[in-house]
Amino acid sequence: MQKIVSKVLSKFGILFDLTKWIILVLVVLILVNVFWLTIFVVDGISMEPTFKDNEIVALNKFYFNNNDPIRGDVVVVRYPGDPVKKKYVKRIVGLPQDNVKISNGKIYINGIQIDEDYLAYDVDSDPNGSWKLKDDEYFLMGDNRPFSNDSRYFGPVEKRFLVGKAIAIIYPRFRDDFQ
Amino acid sequence: MKNNFKTLLNSLSFYRKKTYFFVIIFALATLGYYTLSQQYSADDIALFSNQSSADLEINMVVKEDGDILLNDKSIGNKIDVYADYDELRLPVIDKGGNYYSSVTINLKVPSNSGPSVKHEIIAIHGVGKTSSNMEDDGTIVYKANDVSKNATISIVAKFPKGIISIPVLKQTVAGISQVKDNYWLVIAVVLPLITLIYTLAFLFYQLRRHRIEIPEKEISAPPMAIPPAIVGALYNQKVGPREIAATLIDLAQRGDIVILDRDRDFAFGKAKFDQRLLGFEKLLLSKIFKNNISSNFDEIEKRINNHFYSKKISIVTAGIYALATRLGYFKISPQRIHSKYRIIGTSAFIIALIGFVLSLLLFTNPPYIVFFWVGMMASSLIIAFTAGNMPLRTTIGQEVLSNWFAFKKFLSNPDDFPYSENYLEIFNKYLPYAIVMDCETAWARRFKNHNFTMPDWFLTERGNLGLEDFCLSLFPIVSYVGRSLAALREPGFE
Repeated sequence: MQKIVSKVLSKFGILFDLTKWIILVLVVLILVNVFWLTIFVVDGISMEPTFKDNEIVALNKFYFNNNDPIRGDVVVVRYPGDPVKKKYVKRIVGLPQDNVKISNGKIYINGIQIDEDYLAYDVDSDPNGSWKLKDDEYFLMGDNRPFSNDSRYFGPVEKRFLVGKAIAIIYPRFRDDFQ
Repeated sequence: MKNNFKTLLNSLSFYRKKTYFFVIIFALATLGYYTLSQQYSADDIALFSNQSSADLEINMVVKEDGDILLNDKSIGNKIDVYADYDELRLPVIDKGGNYYSSVTINLKVPSNSGPSVKHEIIAIHGVGKTSSNMEDDGTIVYKANDVSKNATISIVAKFPKGIISIPVLKQTVAGISQVKDNYWLVIAVVLPLITLIYTLAFLFYQLRRHRIEIPEKEISAPPMAIPPAIVGALYNQKVGPREIAATLIDLAQRGDIVILDRDRDFAFGKAKFDQRLLGFEKLLLSKIFKNNISSNFDEIEKRINNHFYSKKISIVTAGIYALATRLGYFKISPQRIHSKYRIIGTSAFIIALIGFVLSLLLFTNPPYIVFFWVGMMASSLIIAFTAGNMPLRTTIGQEVLSNWFAFKKFLSNPDDFPYSENYLEIFNKYLPYAIVMDCETAWARRFKNHNFTMPDWFLTERGNLGLEDFCLSLFPIVSYVGRSLAALREPGFE
């Protein structure tokens, strides 16, 4: 019995010895991917002209551990209706406690119209509506307003659904100045 | 033709066993990736699809234990646990493929819920008006009209704590999830740090207990006639490349093998068939020569690279340890002690790895508990790596080693070796001992002002070399072979 155990342990030891560096590299990659840096592929046109369909973007998942989201941040968010399977990339327009109002295609935060130079020329932000954001809620919108499903439709999003901040387009063009 | 092809493959570092191993790893990785990608791509799963009706009514019940009934059939416990509330967040329709003029979802909640349950309907991709209301009979009615075939409709109900009886496992997972990320990071750092401090303290304590007295006087001859590999095992408590290299030189100077130094190449040749060799020496020679009388660089390299591990070299190592233990230098073979700690370290690593994977599957948002397992992995590696340095010598071993230290003093004495008739013989004879005690350069330096003649067991195309060139030719050869062969030992034989 002892011989069998020692033989099994020996074979197991060999397998462990051969794979330990692969395992360690995988563990490090998983840690980086889960907690810090990952990439995602833009699916759709809702963030044009900032992101085009199929562009590959780097995402900093750790950013919001040390920094509060600010207006204009481009973030990946879990869709509140199906947070396990659906993730979207949107821009933060409204911050906690803000009064967000959309009227005649323009956005007003706490009564003041905001300047959105990241939008394409002459884009309206219809439909009209107004929202009072709670302590941990954010109002998110796609840059391509007519073709974006965002907080105008699914409502403000709690901070727990924010996955991370988009930091750069890495393929097919490099760009990190979209904030 | 077949041999030529094999030689070509070998010259490209293509070796059969290594290829098999990495093909298996690649196949497993591909299979794993495929399985995972299949899981993630199935994002259109929802409770209802392909039902053709102008109006759709769905009846659901939340039981007190969190189980959800859909038309009297259980769909499992879908309640997520948070610090302040328990939440049902369920996609009900996801691109169902049909247009509905209205969708009504009746969610019967536990009778003790009262009006405090918060509810919400979330709908996108082509839905008209939506609403949600709590009826008097404890049913939340979610309504949506003009629901397009691409619509996604989800319902949300947030229950105050205490209404749903959450299963213990789910409560535990939720409890662990709520521990702040900083705590896990601290554990990930502190756990290996404590292990490191403990193992270093234990090592320090053992080293003090097993302190070797370094004699003041040097002795000019080996304290006893034992093979250099045994001296190396006693000195280092390990059998490594130096012990193998020293054994090769020892065999050469005893006339069993010759070493051929060629331009960018080397070879070993058998000089005689010696029946008095020790078991580990015979095995070492059989690994180098197989059944031939000579073995060149290509053949040795092939024998090394075609294996992940070599049973022969493992037994060579075990044989050296066994001999040193039989001589009373160790109470238990160092190999067995190293294996024991290695098994402890490996087992802890495997447990940590399983915990790591399970945590990734069980915990979300994000699974900071994995840092605990990472800390455990680091601790297990510390145990496995420091195990080899634990002092294991017996009192006899310590006394004998003390004498060898006196001999090492002689080998590394900075003064020129006193001239004598047989100084070259002495240089060659003690060279293997100098190698296992890490002082071969100092030993060679003692002869720098003497005339040097190459030993007859070292043959080179470059004529008679001086001492420095001899060392520069010999040491890389034996060091390469020693290192390569030592790397072939199976785990646990280090």
